[in-house]
Amino acid sequence: MRLRRYREEEDASETGIDLAPMLDFVLNLLIFFIITAVFVKETGLTLSRPAPSNQEQKKMDEKGTLFIAVHSDGTISIDKRVIDPAAVRANVERFHAEKPEGPVVVVANTKSPTGVLVRVMDNVRLGGVSNVSIAPSSSGD
Amino acid sequence: MRGRNHQEEEDGHGIDLAPMLDFVLNLLIFFIIITSFIKQPGVKVTKPEAVTAEHKDNGNIIIAIRANGDIWMDRKKVALPDVRALVERMHAERPEDTVIIAADKDSQSGMVTKIMDEVRGGGIQTVSIGALGQEQ
Repeated sequence: MRLRRYREEEDASETGIDLAPMLDFVLNLLIFFIITAVFVKETGLTLSRPAPSNQEQKKMDEKGTLFIAVHSDGTISIDKRVIDPAAVRANVERFHAEKPEGPVVVVANTKSPTGVLVRVMDNVRLGGVSNVSIAPSSSGD
Repeated sequence: MRGRNHQEEEDGHGIDLAPMLDFVLNLLIFFIIITSFIKQPGVKVTKPEAVTAEHKDNGNIIIAIRANGDIWMDRKKVALPDVRALVERMHAERPEDTVIIAADKDSQSGMVTKIMDEVRGGGIQTVSIGALGQEQ
């Protein structure tokens, strides 16, 4: 009965509170968060360090490890022999065929550009070896 | 006059806003939560390209290294010794997050390995180096 009378007053709307201004505000807030939201799809290569303990080191030596050196000027060498960046993959493939379990360690000079390091890691992975780790070296070359 | 008579039979508003408001509020909460998860570095770097780059699912903490060696993390420039403490704090907040080091392709790789060691020391073992995949 009371409700009916209330309705008859016809100035007040049906709902107790007018939702429209709140809705305007919430929508603005929503648009703000949609715009600021970033859905990063980060891609990358997993980094790992060579096994530090002596026992692991021995195991690595038995399996044979391919060391690829990246020098401060961005040149790449295997066994003190400077090679072309494009030849890394072929070298790794040959190594992988000989020793399928053997890991690859990229010995990067601390001043070498990261772009070259990533390129070498990429080529090693393309060559079929997924067990690739990086070790820094601070020697002058 | 006619309009007024007509209105008396219907609700005050033309449409009931309540379900829409519920939905919009849910959406709002979703976006608020999403924005707080990812720790953007706040600077742009030229990432190297790699064919074998793979999508990192929980790579929510991004540490950027600029070509000049500056480290940016969570929209702030940080010094190398501070990285460990920051990573420790983020690791405590969300233990499943992993770190992606977004290094400029002209940055020195010694910095990458130093940061990698700091991050490991901070408690996060899975560290990746950011690279652009082929399709991008």
